[in-house]
Amino acid sequence: MMDRRYFVKSGVFALLAMGLPPEFLTRSLLAQTTAAARKKTLICIFQRGAVDGLNMVVPFGEAAYYTSRRATAIRAPSRNGSGSAIDLDGFFGLHPALEPLHNLFGRNELAIVHAVGSPHPTRSHFDAQDFMETATPGVKSTRDGWLNRVLADTADDCDACTGRKLQDGAAHTAQHLTGQVAMGGAAALRGVALGSETPRAMRGRQPTLAIPDLDRFGVGGRDTAMQDAFTRTYGSEAGTIIGSAADGAFEAIEILKHANLAQYRPATGVNYPTTEFGRSLRQVAQLIKSGVGVEVAFVDIGGWDTHQAQGGAEGQLARRFQELSRGVRALYDDLGDRMDDVVLMTMSEFGRTVNENGTAGTDHGHGTCMMVMGGAVRGGKVYGDWPGLEREQLYEGRDLAVTTDFRDLFAEIVRGHLGASSMDKIFPGYAIDPARSRGLLRV
Amino acid sequence: MVRSTQMWLIATLLLAAGAAAQSPAPAERARVTHLLQRATWGVRPADVDAVMAMGIGKWLDRQLDPSRIDDAAAAERLKLYPSVQRDMTDAVTEFQRQQRLRQQAARQGARPDSMDAPDAARRRAAAGMRGDSAMMTAPPRQGANNPQLLLLDLSSARIARAVYTERQLEDVMTDFWYNHFNVYFGKGIDRYMVADYEATAIRPHVFGRFRDMLGATAKHPAMLFYLDNAMSVAANAPGPRGRGRGLNENYARELLELHTLGVDGGYTQQDIINVARAFTGWSFSRPGPRGGARIAFEFRRVQHDRDEKVVLGRQLPAGRGLEDGEAVLDLLARHPSTARHIARKLAERFVIDKPDSAFVDELAAVFTRTNGDLRAVTRALFTSKHFYDPSVYRAKVKTPFELVTSALRVTGAEVSRSRTMLQTLRTLGHLPYNAPDPTGYPSASEDWVNSGAMVNRMNFAIALGGGRLDGVRIDPRVLTSNTDVRDANDFVPVLLQRLIPGAGTEKLESTILRELAKAAEPVTDRDVRPAAALARQNAARALGLALGSPEFQRK
Repeated sequence: MMDRRYFVKSGVFALLAMGLPPEFLTRSLLAQTTAAARKKTLICIFQRGAVDGLNMVVPFGEAAYYTSRRATAIRAPSRNGSGSAIDLDGFFGLHPALEPLHNLFGRNELAIVHAVGSPHPTRSHFDAQDFMETATPGVKSTRDGWLNRVLADTADDCDACTGRKLQDGAAHTAQHLTGQVAMGGAAALRGVALGSETPRAMRGRQPTLAIPDLDRFGVGGRDTAMQDAFTRTYGSEAGTIIGSAADGAFEAIEILKHANLAQYRPATGVNYPTTEFGRSLRQVAQLIKSGVGVEVAFVDIGGWDTHQAQGGAEGQLARRFQELSRGVRALYDDLGDRMDDVVLMTMSEFGRTVNENGTAGTDHGHGTCMMVMGGAVRGGKVYGDWPGLEREQLYEGRDLAVTTDFRDLFAEIVRGHLGASSMDKIFPGYAIDPARSRGLLRV
Repeated sequence: MVRSTQMWLIATLLLAAGAAAQSPAPAERARVTHLLQRATWGVRPADVDAVMAMGIGKWLDRQLDPSRIDDAAAAERLKLYPSVQRDMTDAVTEFQRQQRLRQQAARQGARPDSMDAPDAARRRAAAGMRGDSAMMTAPPRQGANNPQLLLLDLSSARIARAVYTERQLEDVMTDFWYNHFNVYFGKGIDRYMVADYEATAIRPHVFGRFRDMLGATAKHPAMLFYLDNAMSVAANAPGPRGRGRGLNENYARELLELHTLGVDGGYTQQDIINVARAFTGWSFSRPGPRGGARIAFEFRRVQHDRDEKVVLGRQLPAGRGLEDGEAVLDLLARHPSTARHIARKLAERFVIDKPDSAFVDELAAVFTRTNGDLRAVTRALFTSKHFYDPSVYRAKVKTPFELVTSALRVTGAEVSRSRTMLQTLRTLGHLPYNAPDPTGYPSASEDWVNSGAMVNRMNFAIALGGGRLDGVRIDPRVLTSNTDVRDANDFVPVLLQRLIPGAGTEKLESTILRELAKAAEPVTDRDVRPAAALARQNAARALGLALGSPEFQRK
């Protein structure tokens, strides 16, 4: 596997040798060198539709859990029991369909945060996803996503590079490479969402990229003249929404073209689910292994809105967990040692009612649980203050209460892992207090 | 054949645009172009000329009374897609019959089919995550019941109608209102009901009363199934509890948040619960194993919660039945929050991503004053001075569906069933009937513009320009001219004038001309491409570059 730094520099020099590199390419390669120096990637998995956190990580030690649920309850761990929760700490257990992740917990690389969520009371998917992705619960006027603000914060700004035009790209590159000018830049590949739409969390002024299919990402196929021509027709669009989107596309295509994506094969024995989600995770691994400088990767997985026939150890929700855990475990094993530099985090807009509804499902609730994993994670532990499930302990008498504001969790991860510093800009209107950190990362 | 037609197309475009350029009233022409950009699926020069001739007022009058517009040609084309017009009871009956066969097969060692997962996802999951796929042992879905073929028919018909109907405004508003009252193709039997839903609950009401459309959607089996109201029953209702039946809040919540009041419309969680109670028993009949009942709305009195309820401070007395839900719809339809919510959505979709509150108030006032008369509201929208403020001209980016339909309209394309078109819309994230969430598809420009999307837009333009989309070709009837298009300096300016009316295209023109000149340079000493081939290639490139240009992405 080619060293990332080697690739970047040799790539720049190869282009310099051929003549002037396009200015966008120059900027991207420079940006990669800063990413390479940091070498950290955050992978976010959004479980859209509000996952039932109480069945994801089951509080089997709570009697109230079993009095509230019948058809959907997961049995407490038992020795002979397939189909029962997998014990984590004598009180919480993994849903049996999450079995592929159990051994990461045992290796202390998987941490759970329970009773996490938003302080805002909304039970609308739409609003709650918005609030989580902008990280401003209750404020709808926030235009950009929190991950875009993270990328803005961690970008090393070089005025010349971040401006759209470089007068002399080659000379400027040389200045960077010889250390006369600090590294810097902005590249669309720093933030990549797998899918056809950029999620709210990634939108904003920093260029990011939504890629539905890495293998077919390009303009005009083999007719490179068309892409060149489009590069010029969009050249007059600097600063407009479509101009910067196109700019990001052209630069990413150039980089990916040089990244030898075709050489990627999943590690031996790794099998991704052949679903949309599995394919997306496979492409995340492909990007990370190609060393193109991805700092934030975002993947959606849907199907969590289990209003009816949710199922228990098997059934609808179990199948979602199975796809989730098999996919995540495949990614984890595929990345292997690189997981030392990767943190993977799951999130969902809210949880579900403690009580079952009348259609053997659960309705929109409040608190839920999230998973954080990677080599730098202090795993093997369920974090968070458990609020309990007795009626008087519930939020509005029906839902799991929130004891960890999701912003505190997000802040802890991006500060510790990506080196983000301006918490006031990333989480506007909310004072991040390091004292509330759960200590999830070895930093 | 397809490639050679390219040149003819350009020749024809040349003639069509020639006359248009001489109009004496540029400001009026700009207004008309803007109106057509927003109120139709794509502006052709002849359309602008026609509206210039009759005036905006008369055009709107005509479009707002679609039954008076002869649309036989479009209706004829829609006959190509019979599964779209298939009776939904027949389709569901056949689906259930095939499902029983599959389940029988599945019982011999494979898992049963679920009604809720989208079919493709389910099949992928089955294939990928377990070796014992039900699909391998079960008979395949056949004919019109094959979801993939049905989807191909549905999306092809949706495109064809948008491209060819003379009732453009009705069709654009149908798209708006379908999206407002979204139902997802991928949820179980909804795939057999979305066409009927659009045809009976949405389209007939787009210039009628909002309350009527609201009622039609509330009672349509597609909606009752999509948002689970069909299975929501009073907590104390008699009947089998084995399948776990009781109150389900899903429809009630989306009714308030999305269909009427809006998320800030001033309701509480308790209101949602009480609205859900008011709609208990609103369900639908469906055929059993031996046929029988049609698929139709059905009020099940025994499942209805007959206790007193309070909704938005209004008391619904105990002991009533169907009237409870009707009373809630009445209340919601004339609520001021609903007027504002609808007005804002219309302004965002048709005028500008962040509309002035003055404009929203103006539209909301019309909605309230006319008791939700959507013809009056639509007329107000397209006659408001805010709509014709030049600062909003070309200020929105076309949605992917608008990009596709407008490209097909301006190129006079002949469109039939097209897999690549379906794939294009799927990749662009805007396949008709396929927004999974009740929110439907977004309308703001920034929701549709990102780097990956721009790549897909350019690739679509290249494919269409190069004649590489299956099921899409140039209508031979427009090939009436012999004009020589070999001189790019002649045809490119005229082409751009036709494709991108109302925008300055000088820069784009010189870029395209430069690119064509570059491509025409001999690749090697032995490059002996004949002039005709070069002209064809030029035409394809010019068309692709124009349709993929930033200027064509705007409306």
